[in-house]
Amino acid sequence: MSAITHTTALWYASRATGVVGLLLLSLVVILGILVNRQGRLPGLPSFAVTGLHRSVSLLAVLFVAVHVATAVIDPFVSIAVAAVVIPFVSAYKPLWLGLGAVSLDLIAALIVTSLIRAHLSRRVWRGIHWLAYAAWPVALVHSFMSGPDLRSGGFLALTVGCTLAVAGAAVWRLASTARQVPRAERAAVTLIRTRHHSRSGELARPARAGDGGAR
Amino acid sequence: MTRGATLPRPGPGQRPAAEGTLPGGRRGLPRLMPAEPVPIGLQAHLERFGPPPYRGAPRRLIGELEAAGLTGRGGAAFPTHRKLAAMATGRGPAPVVIGNGAEGEPASNKDKSLLWFSPHLVLDGLQLAAGAVGSPTVGLYVHRNSQLYDRLVAAIAERAAAGLDAAGVELIDAPPRFLAGEESALASRASGGLALPRFKPPRASQRGVAGRRTLVQNVETLAHLALIARYGPGWFRSVGTPDEPGSMLATLHQADGQMGVVETTLGTPIAELLRLPAQAVLAGGYHGAWLPGEQAEALPLANTALRPLGAAVGAGVLAALPADRCGLAETARVVRYLALESAGQCGPCFNGLPRMASALAELAGPRPAPQAQADLERWSGLVAGRGACHHPDGTVRLVRSALRVFAAEIDRHAHGYCTGTSSRPFLPLPAEAAIDDEDWR
Repeated sequence: MSAITHTTALWYASRATGVVGLLLLSLVVILGILVNRQGRLPGLPSFAVTGLHRSVSLLAVLFVAVHVATAVIDPFVSIAVAAVVIPFVSAYKPLWLGLGAVSLDLIAALIVTSLIRAHLSRRVWRGIHWLAYAAWPVALVHSFMSGPDLRSGGFLALTVGCTLAVAGAAVWRLASTARQVPRAERAAVTLIRTRHHSRSGELARPARAGDGGAR
Repeated sequence: MTRGATLPRPGPGQRPAAEGTLPGGRRGLPRLMPAEPVPIGLQAHLERFGPPPYRGAPRRLIGELEAAGLTGRGGAAFPTHRKLAAMATGRGPAPVVIGNGAEGEPASNKDKSLLWFSPHLVLDGLQLAAGAVGSPTVGLYVHRNSQLYDRLVAAIAERAAAGLDAAGVELIDAPPRFLAGEESALASRASGGLALPRFKPPRASQRGVAGRRTLVQNVETLAHLALIARYGPGWFRSVGTPDEPGSMLATLHQADGQMGVVETTLGTPIAELLRLPAQAVLAGGYHGAWLPGEQAEALPLANTALRPLGAAVGAGVLAALPADRCGLAETARVVRYLALESAGQCGPCFNGLPRMASALAELAGPRPAPQAQADLERWSGLVAGRGACHHPDGTVRLVRSALRVFAAEIDRHAHGYCTGTSSRPFLPLPAEAAIDDEDWR
């Protein structure tokens, strides 16, 4: 590999932030699936998973923004500003950079709708959030095909690892949906699960006279 | 004053509790309730009030409601005229108007009592509100399978036969759930679905029953509206305080176990309503807050006084905790009930509330695990504001007030002592929880 000089710095910056961006986006998708299925991470309560999903999303956006900005500024290949958001108009690798633009547009839609979520109907927000399942594979193909970085060595292992992890999370989501607790029983199930933590527990027993029964 | 029907649950064959259990003597009450605890039929209603005073110009009633300062009596105390004005001026198909008589709060009995004793005042208010917002579709949302339900069917039929109503009233079944009366749950149930709270937006006022704009008003608010339409804002404001005018219905739970519904004025000292001293006073029901007994003695039943203390008038529930009960044990029972009434839709609610209930049960026991209180405080911060409806927020309000007011009791439990010498439950709770989706229908 050649040394980093003032002419190659932007190019390296773009590639590095691209790789880290992909890694973070994979993490965001996995955390999003965990949030959706009320999944837990060791040592974290489930609401902390939601917070993590949000924070990592914003971090990923930061890396993707730097990745895109450095790619455009970098004089080594000329990428028009329009090609950043309009797919398949780039003079350089139109297809693979076009996929990047598609992914960027989808991610922008996800972030914007989440930031203004309080003003949207749940259905609209949810519908747009499903686009995450399109944004991630498109970003993966863009990353893999745009440059040679990810096709060998440790980066290849990283790419395969990300793919397996996201695919695994998706399969887990489907399985988890299939065995989900019916809505009306959810609170009772949590109550029963937490009861053994309570030493005295007398008040938590369902048979207590005059008290509501969990059944 | 606080005259009015003082009664247990409404129902034929049940004699109301003795009158005169409350001190006082202010003119002009009761307004909504009959002076004698006898239900007012259509004949007596028309003799007393005359037919509903329909207006040519619907805006006039809205202006009068604004001048009267009527606020919603379902708990949120939102200005009634603003809801009606938004509905009357909004675009799109004609709105739907629903009277909300689903009183899911187990400690409250005032809406059932009002519908039992003065159904025609509520039905008048429903018609007048519908007229004011130009709605031809009117519903009344009440718990099914009760004698009250049958009486309302008969009252509506009687009015239809007399040709009193401009719009036909449809009775809508409310399931016996704590959250059934939540506005979006009502809209969902009235559309034929389950009475589950929905995420907002859209609010029911934007897209409610069958996708139409929907005005939801508590039945007591409608009864006040029917009287303001007849006697005007000046009359309405002749009782109460300038900030919170008019009368209101309150459900009182005395420390001796006696329960009653009274009509009182906003601003009435709590000490005139409850027989104090008491160990503590629960204000605003199960989404309300505990107040220390001696503090409650000095307070009026008014939001201006209660809100700075983290409490509110809410739907007018006041309960005096007897000296021989443990406030922590009572709160633990209630929070467990509230947790099981979660609709199971939002993670913070159906995961957080049962955990809080368990931790509170731990605190209510002897020598609780030391981390129980810290857990409760942490979870309170994590579930508040995180649901589709205000169920987590209301539950957190109750829990936080209990930790505050019963701090000395927590200390006693840590040393193996407890104030409670009676294990008999005090605050009323229903026996049943939902077991499947059908229990929300």
